Amino acid sequence: MTWRSWLKLGLLLAPGLGLILVFIGSVVYIAIAQSFGLFSLSGESEFSLEYWSRMFERLTYNRAIGYSLYVGFASAFLAVLFAYPLAVWLRRPFPGSLTISAVLKAPLLVHGLVAAFLYVNIISYHGLVNQIMQGLGIWDGPHRLQNDSRAIGVLILQTWKNMPFALLLLVGSVSAISDDVLDAAADLGAGPFARFRRVIAPLSVSATQAALVIVFVGALADFSFQVIAGPVNKQSLSQLMVFFKGYGRWHDAAVVAVTLMGLGIAGSALLALVSRFILRGGRLS
Amino acid sequence: MTRLNLNKILLWALFGLCVIWLVIPFTIAILWSLVDPSQPWTPDHLLPPSMSFYRWGYLWAHSSLKIAMFNSYMLAPSVAIVTLTLAMPTAYALGRINFPGKEVVKLLVLLPLVVPGFVTAIFFTAILFQLGLNAWRFGAILFAHSILFLPYAIRIMSVSFETVRQDHIDAARDLGASTFERWKVAYIPALKPGIMATLLIVFIYSIEEFAIAFIVGSPNFTTIPTLLFTNLGANFIRPNAAVISLILVVPNVILMLFLERLLRSANPALSSGKG
Repeated sequence: MTWRSWLKLGLLLAPGLGLILVFIGSVVYIAIAQSFGLFSLSGESEFSLEYWSRMFERLTYNRAIGYSLYVGFASAFLAVLFAYPLAVWLRRPFPGSLTISAVLKAPLLVHGLVAAFLYVNIISYHGLVNQIMQGLGIWDGPHRLQNDSRAIGVLILQTWKNMPFALLLLVGSVSAISDDVLDAAADLGAGPFARFRRVIAPLSVSATQAALVIVFVGALADFSFQVIAGPVNKQSLSQLMVFFKGYGRWHDAAVVAVTLMGLGIAGSALLALVSRFILRGGRLS
Repeated sequence: MTRLNLNKILLWALFGLCVIWLVIPFTIAILWSLVDPSQPWTPDHLLPPSMSFYRWGYLWAHSSLKIAMFNSYMLAPSVAIVTLTLAMPTAYALGRINFPGKEVVKLLVLLPLVVPGFVTAIFFTAILFQLGLNAWRFGAILFAHSILFLPYAIRIMSVSFETVRQDHIDAARDLGASTFERWKVAYIPALKPGIMATLLIVFIYSIEEFAIAFIVGSPNFTTIPTLLFTNLGANFIRPNAAVISLILVVPNVILMLFLERLLRSANPALSSGKG
């Protein structure tokens, strides 16, 4: 390529890629710099590790890390766990399969806040679940199900919202596996589980990794489900970050933001490695 | 048990799940939005004792719903047009030019989707404060949304550019068409479904976006999701939240279904009427 071609290419990439790099690069840079005391909005800017060391001593911060990791990993695992059998079932079209697929993917069209509201309606103190349980005589009176301390509500919401996305990725990958390969495995005596373990799972590693990582990153950074349906005595990292920002504590918010990004990268790498190891029957390569 | 029978059983099981999954939650939301305040819906009633559109009218007249809808429906089309305009040159480069490092560029374009939304929102606000631009919130959110949704626009449009047929461009050139005319007859017909899909997907994502609208817009600039969030938190009144939820979700579902049809029909050979 001549310098003219490079110049033309640079000019073409500038409004799209250029803006993305400048904008996201600035956001990440400001977050990292502020976590070390720089770019102060309300005082002296000076390099310092103080914000990190103070944050490590905070119980709320350490609990938020544990809680966000729990929600992230559990949501990713549950979404893929429910999506996998459905993807295998919907691998080949049959009468009604398109309708099923559409119904299963419907939550993708529902905004997260609306999903949270719908869920809260169902499990509220006088909601449907309480009414049914009392009607069946299982419970004597209504139970408080909203904002449960184990974040079951948040996990249900995350799975409801993310399972269709995992399904979308997995169906594409599982459908691409040729019938000949599966028939050959069956002819060699492999039962349904063996076919899944030895053929389908290793051939859909990439889609599983993508699904796990995407759901994990989204759930790790969850704010709205946590605020509406999550436990009141725990905070997610996003919630903690918004809390610090609300009080103008930008450096503390930056420490949480950098933690969130770091955990996102580390957790994604771990999920990708572990899923590859398990689905390939104990081999990484 | 044959595969057909198994499918039938699973189909019915899934039908039951679908009722729990979608029908019941939305029916309850619709019923709550119709509860008349003269007779509240108490646990001893299966259905609201009195139903009316009072809440819809009340919210329209006495809350910031009108402002939120105006803001959202002004913002979303503006974001869609700005994003498409910004995405076109990069999409052209990715779709029509072969250059070293193209795969890296394709990956870098996805960066806005990797950084958590609230991190982007909070530290974008920090940048706005430092630049002294935090007063014009509409512009700030418009700018942030445009960049946030660039990955979708670039991806869709680069695929559209890839599918523009070289023989159509060459034929137009051989017949003496100028650059403008070549775009008109060879590029635009093939790009049309991609352009429509981009405009629609960015419009929907912008209407639904919460983190940036909440952090950058607070407290003065309200959109439909931020209004819903307020109504689900400190100001929780169930019938009001039901009305806003339905206002947020119903138009978007219809638009999404339309989008799916558009993406399916995004066959350049068909749309250009040739090939």
